[in-house]
Amino acid sequence: MATRPTDISLTPTRAARTSRWFVLQYKMAPYLFVSPFLILFFTFGAYPIVKSLILAFYATNGPKSAVFVGLENFRFLLSDSDFHKAVWNTAVFAFWSVFLQLPLSLGLALLLNSRWVRGRELLRLAFFSPNLLGQVFVGVLFSVLFIPQYGLVNRFLHFVAGVPLDTKWLANPNLVMPALVLTSLWMYVGFNMIYFLAALQAVDKDLYEAATVDGANAWHQFWAVTLPGIKPVAVFVLVMSTIGSFQLFELPWIMLNNSAGPDQAGLTIVMYLYQTGFVTGDLGYASTVGWTLALGVLMISLFQMRVTGAWKGGD
Amino acid sequence: MRFPYGPAALSMLILSILSGVWLAFNPVPPKKATLVMWTFAKTHYDAYKQAIPSFEAKHPGVKVDLQLVSWQAVTSRLQAAFLSDLDVPDLVEVEISAAGSFFRGPLKDVGFLDLTDRIKKSGLYDRMVRARFAPYTSRGHIFGLPHDVHPVMIAYRRDIFDQLGIDVSKIHTWDDFIAIGRKVTIPGKRYMLELPDSESSRFEPLLYQRGGGLFDPQGNCTMDNEIAVQTMLFYVPLVAGPNRIASDLGGGQIFTRAVEDGYFLCMIAPDWRSKTIEVDVPKMRGKMALMPLPAVYPGGRRTSTWGGTMIGITKHCKYPDLAWELALHLYLNKDDLAQRFRDTNILPALKEAWDHPAYDEPRPYWSNQPLGRLYAQLAPDVPFQYTSPFVGTAKGKLSEALVACVQYYKQHGDKGFEEFVRKRLKQSADEVRRLMRRNPY
Repeated sequence: MATRPTDISLTPTRAARTSRWFVLQYKMAPYLFVSPFLILFFTFGAYPIVKSLILAFYATNGPKSAVFVGLENFRFLLSDSDFHKAVWNTAVFAFWSVFLQLPLSLGLALLLNSRWVRGRELLRLAFFSPNLLGQVFVGVLFSVLFIPQYGLVNRFLHFVAGVPLDTKWLANPNLVMPALVLTSLWMYVGFNMIYFLAALQAVDKDLYEAATVDGANAWHQFWAVTLPGIKPVAVFVLVMSTIGSFQLFELPWIMLNNSAGPDQAGLTIVMYLYQTGFVTGDLGYASTVGWTLALGVLMISLFQMRVTGAWKGGD
Repeated sequence: MRFPYGPAALSMLILSILSGVWLAFNPVPPKKATLVMWTFAKTHYDAYKQAIPSFEAKHPGVKVDLQLVSWQAVTSRLQAAFLSDLDVPDLVEVEISAAGSFFRGPLKDVGFLDLTDRIKKSGLYDRMVRARFAPYTSRGHIFGLPHDVHPVMIAYRRDIFDQLGIDVSKIHTWDDFIAIGRKVTIPGKRYMLELPDSESSRFEPLLYQRGGGLFDPQGNCTMDNEIAVQTMLFYVPLVAGPNRIASDLGGGQIFTRAVEDGYFLCMIAPDWRSKTIEVDVPKMRGKMALMPLPAVYPGGRRTSTWGGTMIGITKHCKYPDLAWELALHLYLNKDDLAQRFRDTNILPALKEAWDHPAYDEPRPYWSNQPLGRLYAQLAPDVPFQYTSPFVGTAKGKLSEALVACVQYYKQHGDKGFEEFVRKRLKQSADEVRRLMRRNPY
C-alpha cells in the first residue's frame, strides 16, 4: 500500500528551520549594516533635497501658507538684480581665488618639495596651519587687520607704498572683493599645497632620471614629467576649489559684520540663499536659488573635467 | 594583546565609550518651564533675570525660562522655529529692523499674537509713546509691545569743544553745526561727526528727523520721495567731497581709539548708544556731553530715533494671558524700569515712568548732565517709523543708493548730483516695489 501524501510531514525540521533563518540572516546582514546610513541619508539628505525641489515652485511663508506659483520663482530669479550681483561676486571670487590659488599652491609645493630648502617640515606646517583655524576665526582676524587708520594692513601699506591710512577695505565696494580674495589665499594656499606635495612625491623618480639622460632641462622636466604626473590631483584641486568658492559664506559674513557689505559687494550666492530663506523667510525662493546654484556648480565642474580631460582616464 | 586596528582607533574607541557612559549617567535635565522667553540683548537679559523672580513669586508654580539668543541668531532661529513649528518660545524680544520680516504672509499666518485689543483695552496705547507702536504694526494690527523710545542726541567731546571755543547752545540747526564742522575738521586727522559713507544706519535717523521713512503707514515704499531726496542731498556732502566733515572707521576697539584720539568730535547717540560709549570709551569720563540733534530748519524737530525692540507673544504660547502679564511685568514696573535705565541708559516707552528721580540723576561721565531728563524731554517728539515685511530689503537698497550717490559725488561733485540722487533712489525703491508685487498674499 502506497503511503499517502498526508503521512509526509510538511513541517520543516528544527535543523532546516535554523538553516533557513541562518540564510535569511546572512542575506539580511549587509542591509542591516548599511541601514543606519540609509535611514540617515533618506531622512536628512534625500528628503530635504526632494522637499526643496518642490518648494522651489511655491511662494512660501512657512509650511502653512505656501502658494503654488509654477516657474514664477525661476522667472523672477532671471530678473533679480540681487541674485545677479551675488552670482557676479561669487564668480569673480572663484575666478581670482582659483587662478591665484592654484599656481601659488603649486609653486609653494615645488619649493617645499626641493631638497635645498631648509626646515621644509616646519614651513609646510606653517603654510598649512591657517587652514586649521576655520573661516570664522580667520574672518574675525582679517576684519581687524583690515580696519582703517589703525589696522596692520594699512599701516604696512602706508609704510611701504604711501597708501592712505584711512583706506576702507571692507567699507569700500571696490576693495571688498580684493580683501576677501587675499584672505582666502592666506587660508587655502597652504591647504592646496599639501595636495600638490603629495602628488609631486608620487611622481616616479625614474622618469626624471630618464629625462635627465635624454638631456631635458628643469623646465622640460616640469612640463613633460611633473605636470602630467600631478594632473589628476591638479584637476581635483581645481574642481574642489571652484566648488568651495561657490559655497563661500562664513568668510564674508564674518568679515563684513553679518552683512553683504557696502553696495552688496560681498554678497555671495549662499549668503543670498541664507538671507532669503532664513532672514526674509521666503523658503520657496531660497530653494530656487539653491537649486540654481547646485545646477550651476554641477555644470561648471563637468565643464572643467571635460576641458582638462579628466574623463579620458588611463593616462 | 594588541588592538588589531592600531592605537589611534583604540583611543577613539575608548573615548567614544567613555563619553557615551558619561552622557548616559549625566543626562541633560528636561526643561519644564511654563513660559520660555528669548531676548537678544545681554543688558535686557541681566535686567530680566532680576525681575523674573518677583513674577514667579506672584504666580506660584509658574517657571520662566529666560534665554539669551544672539541678535543675529534670533531672527534666523525664530524664522526656523516658526517654519518647523518646533522650539518656538512663548515670548520673544525682536530687534526693530528684523520685526517686519515676521509680518509676512496672510495675517492669520503671522507667528505673533495680535496684541491690538490688549494694548488698547489696557490703555497702553496712550500711556506709551505712540510713535513706538508703528514699527511693530502691520496692516493696522500691533504685534509687539515697545521696549523703548530711543530718542537721538549728539554726543560730543566737551573738552575739545571747550578748547576750540565752541558754544553748543548756539547750535540750533544743521547749518550751524556744519559751519562749525568745516572750521574744526582736519582731513585725515579730525572730523566733526562720525557718519558712514557705505551703509545707511545713520542716514535713516536723519531721514526720520525730516519726517521721512522707508515706508508709509499703508506699507508703501517711500524711500524715493522728496524727503528722501533732500536727506540724501544733505547727507552725501557731509561724508564725501572736499568739504566733508564726517568720517567713519568702524566699531569696537577702533571706535574707542578714534574717540580717545579726538578723531571724532561728535557722534549720533540714541539713548542705548550713550551706554555703549560709556562702556567702550571709559577714559572719556567727564569729557563727554550731549546736545540735541540740530534741527533741519529753525524751530524744527531736535531729535530722531535709531534702533528699538519689541516683545511679542507667539501663537505657539499655551498661556497667552500669563505671557501678557509677564510682558507687562517686565515693561511697566516703574522701579525696575528706573534701575534698568541706570544700567542701560535706555528710556522706556512708558511715559509715566519718566517721573522717577532716576531720570534726573546727574551722570559724571556726561559732564554731570541729567541724561535721562535730556532724552525724556525729546521723547515726545520722536518721529514715527513705519515698517513692512520688506524692511530688510529696503534698508539694503537704501545703503546701495547711498554708496552710489557717494561715488557719484566724489567723481562729479554737485554737477548733476540732484538728478542722479532722484534717479538712484527711484531705482532702489522700484526694486523694493517689484519684490513687494511678487508677494502673492
